[in-house]
Amino acid sequence: MPPTVSASGLSLHYGGTRALDDVSLRLSAGVTGLLGPNGAGKTTLLRVLATAVPAARGAFTVLGHDPSTSRGRQEVRRHLGYLPQTPGFHPDFTAFEFVDYVAILKELTDRAARHREVRRVLDEVALGDVRGKRIKKLSGGMRQRVALAAALVGDPEFVVLDEPTVGLDPEQRMRFRELIARAGEGRTVLLSTHQTEDVAMLCNRVVVLADGTVRFDGTPAELTAQAAGRVWSSAERDPGAKAGWRTGAGTFRNVGDPPPGADLLEPTLEDGYLLTLDGADAEVTA
Amino acid sequence: MTTASADRATTPTPAATAAGPRDSWAAVFALARFEARRLLLRVPVLTAFAVYLTWIVWRTRDSFDGFPALQDADRATQGGPLLVGLAVLLCANHAVLRSDRYGTDRHFTVLVVQPWRRTVAHVLSVVPVTLLAAVGVAGQFTWEALKPGAVGNGSPAELLVGPLSVLLCGAFGVLLGRLLPAPLAAPLLIVFLLLFSVFTTGFGSWARWLMPVVGEGGGSFNLPSELLGRPAAWHALYLAGLALTAALLAVLLSGGLRLRAVQAGVAGALALTVVGAVGQSRGVPEETAEARTRISVTPEKVHRCDERDATTYCAFPEWAPRTDDWAEVVDGVRSLAGPGAQDRPLVVRQRVEARYGLDNDPLLTPSARPDEVTVGTTWGGNRVPEFAAAVAGVLVTGKEEAVHGICDGRMVTVMWLALADLPDPVDALRSVRLDDSDTGSAIVVSQTEPLSMSAAHTELVRELLRRPKEDTAAQVRTNWAELTAPGVTTDRVAQMLGLDAPDVDEDEEECS
Repeated sequence: MPPTVSASGLSLHYGGTRALDDVSLRLSAGVTGLLGPNGAGKTTLLRVLATAVPAARGAFTVLGHDPSTSRGRQEVRRHLGYLPQTPGFHPDFTAFEFVDYVAILKELTDRAARHREVRRVLDEVALGDVRGKRIKKLSGGMRQRVALAAALVGDPEFVVLDEPTVGLDPEQRMRFRELIARAGEGRTVLLSTHQTEDVAMLCNRVVVLADGTVRFDGTPAELTAQAAGRVWSSAERDPGAKAGWRTGAGTFRNVGDPPPGADLLEPTLEDGYLLTLDGADAEVTA
Repeated sequence: MTTASADRATTPTPAATAAGPRDSWAAVFALARFEARRLLLRVPVLTAFAVYLTWIVWRTRDSFDGFPALQDADRATQGGPLLVGLAVLLCANHAVLRSDRYGTDRHFTVLVVQPWRRTVAHVLSVVPVTLLAAVGVAGQFTWEALKPGAVGNGSPAELLVGPLSVLLCGAFGVLLGRLLPAPLAAPLLIVFLLLFSVFTTGFGSWARWLMPVVGEGGGSFNLPSELLGRPAAWHALYLAGLALTAALLAVLLSGGLRLRAVQAGVAGALALTVVGAVGQSRGVPEETAEARTRISVTPEKVHRCDERDATTYCAFPEWAPRTDDWAEVVDGVRSLAGPGAQDRPLVVRQRVEARYGLDNDPLLTPSARPDEVTVGTTWGGNRVPEFAAAVAGVLVTGKEEAVHGICDGRMVTVMWLALADLPDPVDALRSVRLDDSDTGSAIVVSQTEPLSMSAAHTELVRELLRRPKEDTAAQVRTNWAELTAPGVTTDRVAQMLGLDAPDVDEDEEECS
């Protein structure tokens, strides 16, 4: 089965800052997590793939359409759902009106079918009961779900979600994970996040980006395996560790190159992620 | 989420996203419908429409003016829609700035409908409001046209000005949003336009025609429709061209720059605007000016005359249907007059001073021909007792130019004859006098030279109007010769009509 998204050599510089440097990716159905520290280029990559900004170099296709041409860009957009990092809302619109407006902008022109689709996605994100409420009266979590509904309306085949769980409380985040998992069924979802738990729970694939380059591209298990034998426990913080922090048990969990005879621990995805960022701004201290 | 999961099992399958270039336009129209619905429900637009409709009802109710000249009634439809237009300007601008203001641009730029098509939708969203304004204009004009006393002909071009003003304001609101994405820009533009409209009134006629609605001074008379000299069709073309130019410029500014059709459209719209602007700035055509002079100096050359009993009514063709209203007044005055006056041949001749256009409000000179009464081009309200006074004056003095010089007791007879047969004579007495009173001395308004009533005349006329009409009529017929004799004193008139002599200062009784 051909990949939904195929990108090679994507590069983009903002002045002297390297936002993306020779990024190559192939994305297929399922949820792909995009991990990386602040300034790693995650949002830039997402904006390039969502056709919001063109790459300076490199090329990519979505479902075989090349967005470097006007016609190709339109075709990509016809198959795209995008939730930006800080989505805007029209506060005087109801949830239904806002998603309906986005649906029109996605060329869903048959009124009856469009309204059915808007109701469907609002039900999907559990906002069916408040669809007539003005957005300014909805909570932050509800607004985020409105934005997700707007991204999903029209059943796009490629969905780009830029840090959708930021600012949500744990319960809302759990709800969102469920929604994203469901969205990933039969679609290609690219999820940018800081939360390694999101990736561990949702993604069948993870890409780590740092300094505009791809540091890792594989399954979450493979990322976790990067830290096998490189996590250990000690009574004091090991000065040789790349990262280390005091745990609830009072001992230190160290990540890096363990000293001989160290008390090795089972690695997590976060450990693998931290080690992948070695060299980047990734040190965690207690 | 359990509920949501259950819902998902029963919710319908997703709608297929439309594809292909034709659907982009369908999306534009769908977006236009969405924006139009929101525009129509905005508080400023609803308020403006409410005020507009109230104004229409107030203007067109029967008691305001039951005798419109349709060539002026069409122009009266233009001011109201402008209020709606200003509200549309504000709200259309607000809608265009919405994405920028609330940060949805980041999201919407990656959606299929491009910004320039969204601008087209914003422009199209103004069309339903424009059509509603057109319905208001049509309703107002139809209401006027259906009045039994309506005469003349309306101009479709004048009727288009109101709706075109709304369209123009909407297009300017959209253009301004694309030019200057600041919320204060639209209110400031409105202030600027108001100042500009005040400023242009001091300019020559070409400059004031740059504004959407161009009123006229004067207003107490009507001209035949072919003599108005207003470049209404050119002005409608100018407004349509300007609205189209603003709309297409907005499309250009939002990414349509590379579209050849839009470029060509801007050029075409600009050409229409220029053609309209040049056409409307040429002033009154020479042939119209000549026709105005002809109708002012020798109206009989264009009159259509209708003889009824002893009276011949000569009217401009558009006013011929008004003969019945004039005849009713003439017959009423004649029925109260003395022997000889009831069936003396009279000519009621319609006249207008058209040489100065609508900008001035000149008085007509009284007719020098015997037994000829002047009637103007307006009717209803005060015009009825004014005409009745002119008819009575001619019946008493024999010549219209002699009427304004009456200062003796004949004034009592003239005013009683004029008012006694009207539905509310005392109210008519008040309304025909310049000070709207029924005591003391006052000027009596006339379509030609004004008359003057002394306090003694007023007192006697008021007393006579309170008495049974037939009693006074009998006394008038009996004493007709003496009542209409030049120099008859007011005291003598009171005596002949069975009234006490008026209790006023002697000075007021003197003819100066």
